[in-house]
Amino acid sequence: MRRPGLCFGAGVVACIAVIAAAAPLVAPRDPYASGIDMLVPSSALHLLGTDDLGRDVLSRVIYGARASLAIGFGAALAAMVIGVPIGLVAGALRGRVDTVLAALIDLFIALPGLVLALIITVMVGANLRNLVLVLGFVMWPPIARLVRGQAMALREMLFVEAARATGGTPLWIIRRHIWPGVLPIVAAQFATSVAFAIFTSASLSFLGLGIPPPTPDWGGMVRAGYDYLAINPWMSLAPGAAVSLTVMGFYVMGRSFR
Amino acid sequence: MAELAKPSAGSAGGTAGRGWFRLMLGLIVRRVLLMLATAIAISALLFFAVTQLLGSPAAMMLGQDASPQAIAALNLKYGFDRPAIVQYLHWLTGALTGDLGRSYTTQQSVAAAIATRIPVTLELSLWSIALAVIAAVVSNTIPTGRRVLQPVVTAANLIGITVPNFMLGVSLIFILSVKLDLLPSTGWVPWSDGVGAHLEHMIMPVLTLSAYYFGAFSIVYRAEYQNVLRRPFVRVAQAKGLGEWRVAFRHAAPNAILPVITFVGISMGQLAGGAVVTETIFSMPGTGRLFVASIESRDFPVMLAIGMLIVVGVVIMNLLADIAYAVVNPQIRHDL
Repeated sequence: MRRPGLCFGAGVVACIAVIAAAAPLVAPRDPYASGIDMLVPSSALHLLGTDDLGRDVLSRVIYGARASLAIGFGAALAAMVIGVPIGLVAGALRGRVDTVLAALIDLFIALPGLVLALIITVMVGANLRNLVLVLGFVMWPPIARLVRGQAMALREMLFVEAARATGGTPLWIIRRHIWPGVLPIVAAQFATSVAFAIFTSASLSFLGLGIPPPTPDWGGMVRAGYDYLAINPWMSLAPGAAVSLTVMGFYVMGRSFR
Repeated sequence: MAELAKPSAGSAGGTAGRGWFRLMLGLIVRRVLLMLATAIAISALLFFAVTQLLGSPAAMMLGQDASPQAIAALNLKYGFDRPAIVQYLHWLTGALTGDLGRSYTTQQSVAAAIATRIPVTLELSLWSIALAVIAAVVSNTIPTGRRVLQPVVTAANLIGITVPNFMLGVSLIFILSVKLDLLPSTGWVPWSDGVGAHLEHMIMPVLTLSAYYFGAFSIVYRAEYQNVLRRPFVRVAQAKGLGEWRVAFRHAAPNAILPVITFVGISMGQLAGGAVVTETIFSMPGTGRLFVASIESRDFPVMLAIGMLIVVGVVIMNLLADIAYAVVNPQIRHDL
């Protein structure tokens, strides 16, 4: 294995994607069906026990992958849609536009993402669409900065100089000459962004601002199970381990592309 | 190392004098003005977002079944019916004189509520940041047995970055409190109730929070340290026959620590909100927990005040970083 990081990351991501897609086939039980066996520790019937409403923890962890991946991919995409054009324009054009955009990027980078996400989420309300948009808004600055740096380096290249000399308009140069050079970095950054989005959305739902129940959602499950650590620890530890593994998979995959 | 640090200090000292001093003063004044403008702009944005976008604060506080009379009374009491700009100016002038209003839920003075909580967050964060800096620098600098140690350090870095705080905290509670019964699971005890009890309650929160900082500091430090190792003065130190440890810790490490210090500065700026999750897990009465509680109860004055505390912290730290860079690096001076 020449690239252990890529194999590990891609392997984990592939497994979780398959589990999320095939959740109805993989999950032993209905994740919404409550029962009278509440807070049962691990047993043959319920591998990871049941939660405080008697629902099967394993099935809920499996279904939880869906919400996490949806938010992760959605938010990363939203962040790219905002961050990439800003970074491209700032880096490819000189002068005032760049100064203003760069100052904006610096300011937003310094603001703590989780706190910003908390404030906005409470204002717009927590649901899948809003969470995707809020996280996208919180995550665009690092992407813009990365793209801007790369675009600035490309701008100085001879082929861009030549394109300018032959009368290429700025927009055409960005699209035709700078964008292809930025694309590989954006692709690598995408995986890291998914990791960060899943991490932050899980923290938000741990703080009580996630997808509303009863939809299975990892961060919220950790919070709910936290009071019952002594009775059925899996209720909290299993979804926590699932978030950690998923974030790790995407993060390692993103890093190994560099 | 000391010899190599001199040139930059020397060039700054070389231009020292009235001209340099005037230049720096002008720069600092301009930056401070910019900082004030930024802080006011963000505070206005935050204020309008919180008070206007959320809809009528009175309706939200009283619930859906509130009668129009009750809403009108509350509007009158808190002045919600005045134009937004008037409300903002009222709030801003109050804030500048240290009056942040009263909490809607407890009726307590917001400034007093925050003041009692800052020491908790400050202590938690300072322990965590200190522990994380030491761990990140030492673990990434140790030369002997790198082969053995390297995978361990890499794994620790990865865990620090990717495992969410709440998972670390819950795992620690499960192992150390529930299974081994070594430490109290949650809560906070003031120093006055006994040093031992206070520290006992601090251990798990500090470990949890420092794991996150450790991962971040490690990435920054390791990248810079690998660069420094390739620089000629490290070769010279090795060629002189100095021991591996001496080269690593005395010569290379001090030259790689600057980015970590910058990062520590940024973390300090975000301090008021940096421990939100950790304080929530361990039920610690810090600013982060207060912030989450104010969000849950829609307690706008508290939300606004802590939000502004964070913004001001961030803006001040950015300013200090800019000035520090300008003082150290003569090239940057002209760009500002």
